[in-house]
Amino acid sequence: MRRFFRRGPWEAVATGIIACGVVMLMQPLSLTLYSWSFATTLTGTVMFVVVSKFPD
Amino acid sequence: MPAAGLSTAHSIVEPTPLARRIAGTIVIAYAVLALIPLVWIGLTSIKSPPDSISYPPKVLPWVDFEPTIEGYCNLFTTRSRQTPEYIASLPPADDRCEALARGKGMVVVGPSNYVPRFVNSVVIAFGSTVLAVVLGTLAAYGFSRFRVPLKDDLLFFILSTRMMPPIAVAIPIFLMYRELGLSDTRLGMILLYTSVNVSLAVWLLKGFIDEIPREYEEAAMIDGYTRLQAFVKVVLPQATTGIAATAIFCLIFAWNEYAFAVLLTSGSAQTAPPFIPIIIGEGGQDWPAVAAGTTLFLLPILAFTILLRKQLLRGITFGAVRK
Amino acid sequence: MPRTLNTLAERAAAATPQAVARRVRGLSDRAVAWAFISPTIVLLLAINIFPLVWTIWLSFTNYRANRPNAPVRWIGGDWYTDILTNPDIWVAMQVTARFVIASIAIQTVLGFTLAWLIDRRFRGHGVWTTVILLPMMLSPAVVGNFWTFLYQPQIGLFNYMVSFVTGVPPSSFQMLGDVTLSPWAIVIVDTWMWTPYVMLICVAGLRSIPEHIYEAAEIDRASAWRRFWSITLPMALPFIMLAVLFRGIENFKMFDMVNLLTGGGPGSTTEVASITLKREAFEKWRTGYSSAFAIILFVTVFGLANIYVKALNRVKQR
Repeated sequence: MRRFFRRGPWEAVATGIIACGVVMLMQPLSLTLYSWSFATTLTGTVMFVVVSKFPD
Repeated sequence: MPAAGLSTAHSIVEPTPLARRIAGTIVIAYAVLALIPLVWIGLTSIKSPPDSISYPPKVLPWVDFEPTIEGYCNLFTTRSRQTPEYIASLPPADDRCEALARGKGMVVVGPSNYVPRFVNSVVIAFGSTVLAVVLGTLAAYGFSRFRVPLKDDLLFFILSTRMMPPIAVAIPIFLMYRELGLSDTRLGMILLYTSVNVSLAVWLLKGFIDEIPREYEEAAMIDGYTRLQAFVKVVLPQATTGIAATAIFCLIFAWNEYAFAVLLTSGSAQTAPPFIPIIIGEGGQDWPAVAAGTTLFLLPILAFTILLRKQLLRGITFGAVRK
Repeated sequence: MPRTLNTLAERAAAATPQAVARRVRGLSDRAVAWAFISPTIVLLLAINIFPLVWTIWLSFTNYRANRPNAPVRWIGGDWYTDILTNPDIWVAMQVTARFVIASIAIQTVLGFTLAWLIDRRFRGHGVWTTVILLPMMLSPAVVGNFWTFLYQPQIGLFNYMVSFVTGVPPSSFQMLGDVTLSPWAIVIVDTWMWTPYVMLICVAGLRSIPEHIYEAAEIDRASAWRRFWSITLPMALPFIMLAVLFRGIENFKMFDMVNLLTGGGPGSTTEVASITLKREAFEKWRTGYSSAFAIILFVTVFGLANIYVKALNRVKQR
């Protein structure tokens, strides 16, 4: 269980979600993706703040 | 940065003299190209309005055009157009600006707003720098030496405040200052710039103070100093360079800031950056006057940059460049 | 948070000073720590956090700053839905994206090239580095304003130089008035100003590569080309990423230069997110709406800032 809650991989996932949200915000292809971008970025950011509390 | 004393002369893979010369040529070519706009600002400030907009451009002073202080006169004065009879009836002009204005059929009626705006810039920049550096030094020492709960969160929060989009911050600040009567006051701008600068000051100064060995203070405390005395007598003298570097950096930020200034000030506390673009003469922008205002505004920063380049680097890069 | 600020010294010190601290006279360490830190925290709470919380609250209301006495109604997340389905705002985000991508791509290539050339250590490279740094230190607003003069069609120096090199008549193109050229006008000024920043970080990156790696490559008889692709570039990459992220965040919220060069025009071809926000907040006075937009931009920047600090700490550990 302790091994599961390690910081490194979770932080990478959160970084990926944030990056995804930023790309969705600014891509020119789909209005739907744009509409969901804020939710994605917010999720990623909250997740980042939470997982950074995990032990190394 | 050559004098930094880094020993990474790639001894075996040393570039050949030819490669060096080519590299030098390209870099110098870029530097010269990048300098052109700055040189042009200086040149335009000593041209007469017709010379400043002539085609092809006039480049060499005394060769292509006759330098004049008209731009600076127009920057510092307001003038009004008068009839030739009225001008002829006046006593002889007592200074160059008056004489220049009369040559154009105008008389000087008073000083322009440039000097008060410049003074605002000076007061706000220095005020916020002093505050930010004092607060920042204390906080940086606290973060560097003590176990503060949630330290990393607080430090990140402090840094992230600097990254907020200025317009997003300006909306509530505008409302708050309106309620508190701080709109368009120097105090309001000083507090705002301090809050932006203190984040960088803490971040940078913590780096500098981390590098001062704790043993110094501990030795002083064993000798009977209190923590405060140790801070004042041991840590502060060691951190002088870092504090100076941080101060210069805060000063430059506050000096250059535009977004808050243009949205939150309009008159008595307006700084130079929002003022310079709205300098206008008769029939559109008076480019020599704008260039004169720009030159005077940029000169202190150019001097700082050239004199204190090495100390500045760390601030610009949030501490990523250490040497 | 990802901020491993624990240097060796810090960790060592955390283990030792308690005994010393307890013996000293005067204020306890705890009191000193809070006395030192709290003024900064109070200032930031008053001027950053309180306004931020207020903005969040405003973003759920129909408040308008030019009608302070009108009744304020709670309207829930309507503004957010509105903004996130509004094609005009979407277009503004795309304009921002194009500006960010174009300027960063150019600055990174140019900045890295210059850094690599400066690392050849030709004669006088220190002086020329300083010269290159100058534009970056100046006020973007004041200098950006002067660029509008350089961009004047008939009389501007920029048009003159372009026509001198290419032979196109100088009054045949308008950098600031043309729909296709005006985005590039901004990119050019941004590049002129901020390439030195990327260059600076890249120089630090190149200098951080340990010499012995090059020596090993030399023994393996790796070609200069291979040395560059398998040593120089990968080793400098964290620094390049750092510069890209920082410039990305800065350009995402770019306001001063755009406001002075084009003001968002012609039409809305250069209307980046900050300009839209300024128009909604300080021209149309739709405070609630613009607060919601500000929060969306803020969360994006905050997310990117998390990544940036992670990258920064990685670089600092080198």
